Amino acid sequence: MYAAPVSRLIAELSRLPGIGQRSAQRLAFHLLRASSEEAAALAEAIQEMKRTVGLCERCFNLAVGPLCRICEDPRRDDDTLCVVEEPSDVIPMERTNEFRGRYHVLGGALSPIDGVDPEDLRLEELFRRVEGGGVREVVVATNPTTTGEATALYIADSLRERAPSATVTRLASGLPVGADLEYADEVTLGKALRGRSSL
Amino acid sequence: MRVTRLTARDFRNHSRVELELGPRLTVLHGPNGAGKTNLLEALYFGCVGRSCRTSNEREVVRSGEGVARVTVEGEDEDGRHLIEVGFSPGEPKNARVDGARIERPADASVRPLVSVFLPDRLELVKGPPSPRRAHVDRLVGALWPARAQARAAYSSTLGQRNALIARIRAGRSAPSLLEPWDSELARHGAELMRHRRDACALLVGPFCARAGDLGLHGEVELRYRPRSRAETVEELTDELRERRASDLERGFTTHGPHRDDLELRHEGRPLRAYGSQGQQRVALLALLFAERDALADHGRTLLMLLDDVMSELDRERRERLSGLVLAGGQALITATEAEHVPAGRGPGVTLARVEDGKVWVEAGASDGSWRAAPRAA
Repeated sequence: MYAAPVSRLIAELSRLPGIGQRSAQRLAFHLLRASSEEAAALAEAIQEMKRTVGLCERCFNLAVGPLCRICEDPRRDDDTLCVVEEPSDVIPMERTNEFRGRYHVLGGALSPIDGVDPEDLRLEELFRRVEGGGVREVVVATNPTTTGEATALYIADSLRERAPSATVTRLASGLPVGADLEYADEVTLGKALRGRSSL
Repeated sequence: MRVTRLTARDFRNHSRVELELGPRLTVLHGPNGAGKTNLLEALYFGCVGRSCRTSNEREVVRSGEGVARVTVEGEDEDGRHLIEVGFSPGEPKNARVDGARIERPADASVRPLVSVFLPDRLELVKGPPSPRRAHVDRLVGALWPARAQARAAYSSTLGQRNALIARIRAGRSAPSLLEPWDSELARHGAELMRHRRDACALLVGPFCARAGDLGLHGEVELRYRPRSRAETVEELTDELRERRASDLERGFTTHGPHRDDLELRHEGRPLRAYGSQGQQRVALLALLFAERDALADHGRTLLMLLDDVMSELDRERRERLSGLVLAGGQALITATEAEHVPAGRGPGVTLARVEDGKVWVEAGASDGSWRAAPRAA
C-alpha cells in the first residue's frame, strides 16, 4: 500500500511501546512531511544515545562514560544505598530531592515464570558493594508487586547473612500525598488503613 | 442500583425486547423454549458484562446477526444510570456506563451486584471445591472491596512458586531460592484465609436460618475447611518450608489456601456426597440467600436471578421461597407456570408472559399500581 521505505518505518515504529499501527502511520507521515534536517536530527539523536549511553560500572544506572552522574557526585552519602528495579525508577527518587545516598539498579526483579534468577540481576554486585563496608543502610525500593516483594525479601535474607551490620529497610506504601481520598483505589486505601499511625 | 428496565437486541432468540422490571420482583412465565432464561441471561450480561450460561459467548448473538446489544437502566440514590453492553464475536466488548466507555463492565461501580441461580449451578454444592473457593472469594470482594485483590495476589505468587519448583527440578535454579517465595506465598495465603474465614463467619447464621426456612430440617452446617491450620504468616511459612521436599518431588505446591474448601453439611454428613438433589438445591438457595443477608448488613443490595427455581419445590416451599425473595433486594424469577410463584402478584411485582421471543407485561408497574392492558414490547 505504501512505498517500501515507508512500510519499513511504520513497522519499526509500531514495535515501540504504546505505539499501534495507526499511531505509527501518523508518525511516519509526519516525518515524511518534515524537513530533511528534522528527520536527520531524530535519527542522529537515536544513534547518539545508543552509541554513548551505557550502564554505570558501579550502580548500573544509565551512564555516559564508566560512571553515572550520581556515582561521580562527591557530595552524595556513601553509607546509604537505594535499590531499585530499573534505571527509570531512579528518576522519581531523585525528584524527591530527599535521598542523598547512592543507588543500585538491579535490572529487573526475580520472576521464576519469566526465568529470571538472581544471576540474571545485579544482585551479587549489590551484596559485594555492601560487604565491602561503608554502607549503613540499604533502602529496598523495588515495586510493591509480587515479584518486587519477593526480590526485597531475597535481598533482606541474603544481606542478613553476608553483611549483618547493614540495616535493610523497605519503602512504606499508602496514600499518595496531596491526592483526594475519594480518588484512592480500595486496595491502596485498605493498606493505608491497616498501616495507620496514632497522632 | 435497582434495575428499572432491560432492553435486548439480537440476544439469543430475542430480536428486540424491552422489559420493565418490578422494583422488588419480576416473574417471567411461559412455555419451555420461549426465551425466559435468555432474558435472565441478558440481564446478567448487561449487569456483569459476560454470560452466566456459557463460556462460548458467540452463542448469545442471535443467529444470522452480527451484534448483540443489552441495555440496563436503573436508579440509585444518585439518580438514574444506564449501562450498555454491545458484543460482536471476535471483538472486545463495547461497554458504556452513563455514556462513558469502560474497559470491563464488572469494574463499573454503579452496576448492581448480581447473584444467579441456574439449574447447573448445583455444581457449586455437589461439584469439586475450586468453584466454591472462587465463589467465597467473590463474596469477599463484594463485602470488602479493599480485600478483593488478595486472591489474585495469592494466585500470581503461587504461579511463581510453581514455576520455580519446575526450574529447580530441571536443575536450572537453586532450591534455596524458595525462601522468599515461601514467605510471600504465606503472607498472601494467610491474608486470603483470614478473609475467607471472616466471610464464612458471616454466612453461618443466615445459612442455617434460610435452610430451615426452605424446609431443610435437621442440623445444617456451613464450615470453612482450610487446608492449613496456620493462624499466622509465620506458621504458614513454616508449614510451606516443611513441605518443600515433597513439593519438589511432586512438582507443585501441595499446601495452602488453594486447596481450601467450603463444606455444607446436613445431619453431620457432607451434602456434596450424601445430599439428595432436592436437598442440594435447597442448600444452594440457602447459600445465595445467606449471602444476600450478609451483603445487606454491609449496605449492599443484590439483584437475584433465579432460573426455574420453583419447578422441583412443593407448594409449601414455593410459598417460603417467595417470602424470602420479597424480604429484600430485587429479584427476577422464571417459571413455566405463573401459579408456581405465589408472590407473582402484589405491590412492586411485575408479572410478564414470555412467548416466542416476545414479552407481555400482565401485571405490575414500578409505582406499584396494576396495569391491566397487555402491552406488546
